[in-house]
Amino acid sequence: MTELRGNNRAMFWRILRRLLGANRGRLFVMLLALGAGAAVTAALLNLQVDAKRRLTTEFRAFGPNVVIVPKGSLSSSSETLPQSIIHAVPANVPSGRVTTLSALYMVASVSVPPSEKSVSAVVAGINPLSFTQGSRSAIPNRSVPSSENVCVAGVRFAKQVGIEPDAELVVASGDRRESCRVANFRQTGGSEDNRLEIDLRAAQRLAYLPDRISMIELIVPGTPAEIQNYIADLQRRIPDAEVRPVRQFTEGEARIYNRISGLLTATVGIVLLLTALCVMAAMTNVAIERKMDVGLMKAIGGATRRVVRLFLAEAALLGLAGGVIGAALGILLSIVLGKAVFGVAARPRLIVYPVAVGLTMLVAILSAFPLRRLASIRPASVFRGEA
Amino acid sequence: MFLRLVADSFGRRPRHKLLTGAALALGMGVATAALSVALDVGDRLAKEFRSLGANLVVTPKADSLPLEIGGVDYRPVNAGAYLPEADLPKLKTIFWHNNVIGFAPILDVRAMALPFSREGRQLASWIADVPVVGTWAGRAVPLPDGGEFHTGIAKTNPWWRIEGHWFSDDGRECVVGRALAQKAHIKVGDLISLAVGRVTKIPAPFKVTAILDSGDPEDESLVIPLSYAQSLAGKPEEYRKLYVSALTKPEDAFARKDPKTMTPAEFDRWYCSPYISSIALQISEKLSGTDVRVIRRVAEGEGQILTHVEMLLWLVTLAAMLAAALAVGASSAASVMERQAEIGLMKALGAGAATVGFLLAAEQLLLAFVGGGVGYSLGIVLARLLGERIFGAAPEPTLLVFLVVIGLAAIVTLLGSAIPLRRASRIEPAPILRGE
Repeated sequence: MTELRGNNRAMFWRILRRLLGANRGRLFVMLLALGAGAAVTAALLNLQVDAKRRLTTEFRAFGPNVVIVPKGSLSSSSETLPQSIIHAVPANVPSGRVTTLSALYMVASVSVPPSEKSVSAVVAGINPLSFTQGSRSAIPNRSVPSSENVCVAGVRFAKQVGIEPDAELVVASGDRRESCRVANFRQTGGSEDNRLEIDLRAAQRLAYLPDRISMIELIVPGTPAEIQNYIADLQRRIPDAEVRPVRQFTEGEARIYNRISGLLTATVGIVLLLTALCVMAAMTNVAIERKMDVGLMKAIGGATRRVVRLFLAEAALLGLAGGVIGAALGILLSIVLGKAVFGVAARPRLIVYPVAVGLTMLVAILSAFPLRRLASIRPASVFRGEA
Repeated sequence: MFLRLVADSFGRRPRHKLLTGAALALGMGVATAALSVALDVGDRLAKEFRSLGANLVVTPKADSLPLEIGGVDYRPVNAGAYLPEADLPKLKTIFWHNNVIGFAPILDVRAMALPFSREGRQLASWIADVPVVGTWAGRAVPLPDGGEFHTGIAKTNPWWRIEGHWFSDDGRECVVGRALAQKAHIKVGDLISLAVGRVTKIPAPFKVTAILDSGDPEDESLVIPLSYAQSLAGKPEEYRKLYVSALTKPEDAFARKDPKTMTPAEFDRWYCSPYISSIALQISEKLSGTDVRVIRRVAEGEGQILTHVEMLLWLVTLAAMLAAALAVGASSAASVMERQAEIGLMKALGAGAATVGFLLAAEQLLLAFVGGGVGYSLGIVLARLLGERIFGAAPEPTLLVFLVVIGLAAIVTLLGSAIPLRRASRIEPAPILRGE
C-alpha cells in the first residue's frame, strides 16, 4: 500500500515537472506576472512600514517640541532651573535620539570695541552652541572653533549693532564682562534673529548664576503617542520643573502624521489589492487555457481530486518561485528607493518577505481555482469544445 | 472588411475577453488611483501644514532691536518703529494673493488691569504690568474685486484653544490667557478695566468673552481688539508685527538661488512660483518699509517633508503602474499565444503576415480602450473615496490622467502581445494546422 502511494507520489511530481516544462513561453509569462506582483507587494510593504518611522524623524526639522521650564513660572519672572536637571532627561527613545538645548536668557549691553556705543540686547547662553543648526550661514563652511569665547549673532541684532564676521564683541552686565568672537550669523525668522548667542558658562558668569539655566528645549522624535508618553514620563522624573509640549508643533505634527500615515496606508492598501486582483485575472486567463490538459487527464483516468491537486500544486509552485524571486527584488528595490527618497537606505523588515511570498502563492492558487470547475466536467464535453 | 473581421473576432471567446479586460481594468484602475493621488497630494498636504500657523513674519524695517525673552517684548512702547494698519488690505493684491490664507497684525502694550465680576463687584486691586496683545480676531478685509476676506489670529495661531468665543473686532471685549485668569480668578463674563500710566477715573471695562489656552506665553496676557490696544498705546492705526500664513511650494535648488543673480526669464519663473521666498518678496513690495522674514522652523520643515512624501507617492505610483503593466502584458501575451491555430488558418487563407498582425493588434487595442476606460473610472472612484476619507476633499479627475492611462493600456497590451504576435505571424500555416 505504501509502495503504491510512493509510486503515486513519484508520478505526481513527474507529471508536475512536465506540466511546468511543457510550454516555456507560458511559464515565463506567468512567472513574470507573479514576480512583478510579488516585487511590488514587498517593495510597497517595506517602504510603507519604513516611511512611517522616517516621518517621525523628519519632524526634527521643526525644531524643539518639548520644553522644560521652572515650575509655575511666568515669562516675566527670572526663575531658573538647576543645570543638573539635564541628566534626568532620557536621551533615547524608540524613534531615535533626543536632542537637548539648555539656555539661560538675560538682557545685557553689547558693544563692539573700540567703539564705546553699546546696545541693550537679549543675550542667550546656549549649550551646545551650534554653528550650523537652523541657520542660513552667511559664511559657508566654517570650521568649528574649539575655544569657549565664540558667539553666534542673530541677523537683525548684527545689523543693528553693525557687526562684521569675525568681529570681537564685549558683553557687559553689571560689573561683569565677557568677550567673544562672532563665528556665524543666525537667521530663523524667530526671536533668535534679535539676540546674541554665547556659550552657556560665559552667560552664567555674566548673570552671576553658576549652574543655573532658564529652560531646556528638547527635540523628541516619535509618533504623537510616543511624544505624549515621553512628556508624562519626563514630568514624573523631574517633579520640580514643568515639562510642556510646544503645542504649535506637537499638535501640528500629530495632525500631519495622522494624515500622511493614513494616506500611505490607504494608497498602499488599494494598490496591493488591485495589483493582486489584476495578477489573479491575468493568471486565470492563462489558466483557463489549460482546459484541454484537464480534459485529457480526466479522459485517461485521472480522478477529479488528483487532477485538481496537480494544477493547484503547479500554481503554488509558480507562486512560490515568482514570490521568492520577486519579493527579493522588491525588497532590494525598496532599499534603493528609500535611499533615493530619504537619503538613507530603508532598513528591510524581514517580516515583509514571507508575507509577500505568501500573498503571491495565495494569488496564484486562487487563480487556478476555475480549473476545479473544469475538472468536474465530463472530458468529452471539454474535447467537443462545450466547456 | 477589416473592421468587420475585427468586430467579429472581438465578439468571440467572451470569457477570455472578459478576463483580459478585467486584468486591464484592474491594472489601469491601480494606475489611475495612484496617479490621481500622487498629483493631488502636494496641494492637500500643503493645506494641512497650515495648521502649524504662520510661516512669514513682517516687522518694520526701521525697527529697533526687540528685547524678547519667552515671547515677551520688554521694549518700551515708544522705542522702535510701527507700521500703518491701512496698508494691510494690500496683502490680498500680491501676485500670490490666493495663497495668503490668513494674517494677523499684533500690537503689544503693557497695561494695568482691574478685574470686576459680572455684577460689577471688584475682584482684586489693580494688577500691574499685564502684557496686552492687540490683534484681529475676525476681521473682514475688503478685496479689490469687491468680496471680503476673513482673517484673524485664529488663522495664524491655529493651536490656540479658547473656552468661549472670540471678541468682535469693534466690541469692547477681551480674551484672557489661562494663567492670568487663574491668578486673578477671572471667569468668562467678568469685566476688566485697562489703563496705562496715571489713572484718574476707572475706564470703561472690557467684557471677557473667552479664556485662552495656547501653551504659549500669551497664556499670561490679555488679548483685545487691535483698535483698543492702539488707543492704549497711543499709536492709532498702527501695528508692530504681522504674522502671515501662506500656502507655498517646497523650495528646491532653483528656489534657493539669490533673485538678484537670476536672469529675467529665471526671475519670472521664480516670481510666478509660490515659493516662500518669492511670496516674501511680493509682500515686501506691497507693504513699504517692511522687513519680511521667513519663519524657517515652519517653512523648511514643511518643504522637506512635503518633498519626501510626494516622492514616495510617485514611487508607489510607478511601482503600481509597472506591476499592472507586467500583469496585463502577460495576460495579453498568453491570449495571443493560444490563438496560433487561428493565425495559421488566416495565413492559409491568404492573409499576409502584416494583415494578421494588424488584425490582432486592432483587436487588442479595442480591448485596451474598453478595459482602460473601465479601469480609469474605477480608479477615479477609488481616488475620490481615498481623498474624501483622508482629506475631506476629492481630487478632480484630469484629462492628463485619462490620456496617460489609456495610452499606458494601449502600449502595454500591444507590447505584451507583440512578441507572440511576431512569432505567430511568421510561422508557416501548414504545421500549425496540422497541430504541431
